[in-house]
Amino acid sequence: MPRFDALLDDFFYRPDEDVSGLVDFAAGSHGVTPQAVEEVPEEYLSFLLEDECYAVPLLAVREICKVPPLTEIPRAEPWLLGVMNLRGELLPVYDVKLRLRLAEVPARVAGPEALPAPRAARILVLKTEEGPAGVWVDSVQGVVRLKPSMLEAAPPGLRGERDCVVGLGRRGAQLYILLDPELALAS
Amino acid sequence: MTGTKALAEFVAEATEILDALGRDLLALDEVRGRDDADPERVNGLFRAAHSLKGLAGLFGQERIARLANGAEDLLDRLRLGRLRLDDAVLDSLVDALDTFQSLLAEASRGEETDGLSRRAEDMATRLARLGSPPRAAEEDPLERLELDPQVRAVFTEYEEHRLRENVRREVSLWRVRAAFDLSDFDQGLADLNARLKPLGEIISTLPSARPGGVNGIAFDLIFGAQVNGDALTSGLLGTPAELFQLPVRPVVGAMPVATAASPEGAPSPKARRGGGRKKAARAPPPSEETAPPAGEGAPSAPGVPPRMRAVPAVESAAPLASDAGGARPEAEPSLRSLTQTVRVDIGRLDGLINMVGELLLIKANLQRLAETTRQDGAIAVSKLFGQELARETRQLERKLEALQEGLLEARMVPVGQVFDKLARLVRRIARDAGKEIDFAISGGEVELDKLIVEELSDPLMHLIRNAIDHGAEPPEARLAAGKSRRAVVQLHAEQKGNHVVISVSDDGSGIDETGVRDVALARRLVTPAQAAEMSRRELLNLIFLPGFSTRDRVSELSGRGVGLDVVKNNLGNLSGIIDVWSERGRGTAFHLTLPVTLAIIRALVVGVSGRTYAVPLNSVLEILAVRPEDISTVERREVLDLRGQTLPFLRLARLFHLPERPVGRHFVVVVGLAQQRMGIAVDELHGQQDIVTKPLGGRLRSVRGISGATDLGNRRTVLVLDVAELLEEGIAQERRRA
Repeated sequence: MPRFDALLDDFFYRPDEDVSGLVDFAAGSHGVTPQAVEEVPEEYLSFLLEDECYAVPLLAVREICKVPPLTEIPRAEPWLLGVMNLRGELLPVYDVKLRLRLAEVPARVAGPEALPAPRAARILVLKTEEGPAGVWVDSVQGVVRLKPSMLEAAPPGLRGERDCVVGLGRRGAQLYILLDPELALAS
Repeated sequence: MTGTKALAEFVAEATEILDALGRDLLALDEVRGRDDADPERVNGLFRAAHSLKGLAGLFGQERIARLANGAEDLLDRLRLGRLRLDDAVLDSLVDALDTFQSLLAEASRGEETDGLSRRAEDMATRLARLGSPPRAAEEDPLERLELDPQVRAVFTEYEEHRLRENVRREVSLWRVRAAFDLSDFDQGLADLNARLKPLGEIISTLPSARPGGVNGIAFDLIFGAQVNGDALTSGLLGTPAELFQLPVRPVVGAMPVATAASPEGAPSPKARRGGGRKKAARAPPPSEETAPPAGEGAPSAPGVPPRMRAVPAVESAAPLASDAGGARPEAEPSLRSLTQTVRVDIGRLDGLINMVGELLLIKANLQRLAETTRQDGAIAVSKLFGQELARETRQLERKLEALQEGLLEARMVPVGQVFDKLARLVRRIARDAGKEIDFAISGGEVELDKLIVEELSDPLMHLIRNAIDHGAEPPEARLAAGKSRRAVVQLHAEQKGNHVVISVSDDGSGIDETGVRDVALARRLVTPAQAAEMSRRELLNLIFLPGFSTRDRVSELSGRGVGLDVVKNNLGNLSGIIDVWSERGRGTAFHLTLPVTLAIIRALVVGVSGRTYAVPLNSVLEILAVRPEDISTVERREVLDLRGQTLPFLRLARLFHLPERPVGRHFVVVVGLAQQRMGIAVDELHGQQDIVTKPLGGRLRSVRGISGATDLGNRRTVLVLDVAELLEEGIAQERRRA
């Protein structure tokens, strides 16, 4: 669906043409916002953590990979699951569920006592100022385009010791909890 | 071997200097005949000649050193304005460059022909005789500048000359005053310089007479502006600079000499570039220049100005008439460069090393494959094939080892590189501290990985500064103590097996350990009970604790210790450790033990609680099998008895909070660096392997006891233990429990 929208933008949009109807149709906004043309939607990657739907800006995601064998780091903070070797690059992998208080203890996914990772689990490699880092997610949902009008501020102190939840995105019935990758991975 | 290597190094460096000389001369030639040669350029030429002299002297190249000395003298007179840059001077310099090229060519072949020696001598005499004095100055233009005589007194001769030139050209002169915070004034000053550069010439930078506040420092920059006041003001927006114009009294009587040539002051860079076009305009002569020397007769005879040959870096395009007598068999012009050296970015070498690491993994897989095929004895063909495969893999292994060795060698540079830089700084530090110091360097030929050598300069600088500031006593105190007047600071490098030990020592007053103890107690780094039990060596080691030293403490202690914890950390990052020896009244020595390379290391692969770790083999002394009953406790800490010596004992599983498994026997890896020893207990030994260590990266900087990770070929990442850190932890634990 987002592709369709982009194609329309590329091929049909001219300043003197009225394509608001088409754009609305493509974005599925049911025509509730007549000024939709001026709104630039942003792309987010949505994923599940403990059955809740989260999203991060797509631009912050470098890649998504299956869960490789992880090597635990002795005496590290509990939310550091371990390190992984991605094509020769060494990346730390974090469990943000602990930060979001979705879990009390980190998942046993590294070391010899590790349980096999669930089939749907993935590692998101996020770009941050401190360098790339992996984040464990239970499953990846897909790319979602959210317009500014679909966003709302997060209720203050919504969850987590740090306020890495920066807002909520609502699209139809689906609610997305928006995370700031920098804050979520700040040490 | 070392001789040819040193020679190659000399040729490479000298070639670079000559190339730079050639470029600068060419640029000067473009503005030939005009009175506005870029002073920076002349100064650059002077510096190049000076470096060449030093370099040639260092490598015992007498002939080049002598000629460079002559060139340096000439250029010095030139930059100080005692000599005018006329055609004769320029031509002589170009000829001198040719002579340098020929001398270097002979040096690279290890020859020394009489013909060329004579030519070099003649050249040096010619340079010395050169010189039409500059135009007689009717009146020193500097007298017209209203500048405090006290300020004028601190100018160097060169600065004074540049100031005089600027006044003579009627450039508007400014005093740019700027105050910076002490913490980052060097940065601020560099920024200001960068802003000013395009606007004119910075003649001198002086500390300002006006104080810069409590935490500040102020500078006065004497600046000759190429732009008007408004442009200068706007160009300095956002910097803390204040501008004061320096008034110049008008000339009395005669017209200034050079103003007619450049009415708006010194030429702008654009005007200078115009010189290039001028050269194109006189196109016909260049065709003559390229003609064979016969066409020009005796072009280089002194007095007859030859045109500058277009590419001075080319070795003797036209032989000189003076020695055209046939004494130069090497006279055929050759464009081939003299040096066989290639400069390579260390990052590329890193990439290659990584590649070798991956090849080694593939080789390990092949070996495993060969082994399984060979043991699969059911089919005879498979067995044969396995043998064949094993043989080929061994070949591959040998070649890979050679490749790895070659690459590692390519990364090696003599530590002398950093030693020489330090030697230059020592004189300045000694002067600032009011000490008389003899600085002795030895072992500069010992080789270390380029990356390690680069990282060494700061820690060594720190230690040498400490040795001069705090170790060496003032001359009078030394005489009173019955020592020689001059203190000796030594920098020594030595290879010891897999390590290189670098020591910085002085014959000064030594460290007062009671003073160290008092400071440590006052700062609550140790408790009085702990301090009472400490040996002298342990007390001395307290100086490496973070928080031990601060500036105000140093003077009280009359000792050393400005940020030694930083030095220790820097060395830790290089997998090295530091050790101190000191005897009161006799001096202090710091020993730095460093691995030869960080790129590929041989590691012992061990297993603990089902995890796998790699221990760098260069710090493993021996491996013991120990039954649980052999472990005894002394004051509740576990120790081993190793041939009558007590060895601290550390269970890796316990340290890393891993589930401990009951075992019938422990394997104890005895590690040691410098004088520290410790036994690390592990469950299994998996063998040895070459590994390429990858750093854990910024996010995991704070992880203790792990220096990096590596890949052992089964897609599993294996952590590499940081032995230096573990040793320290083990020792620290002991200290706490004691």
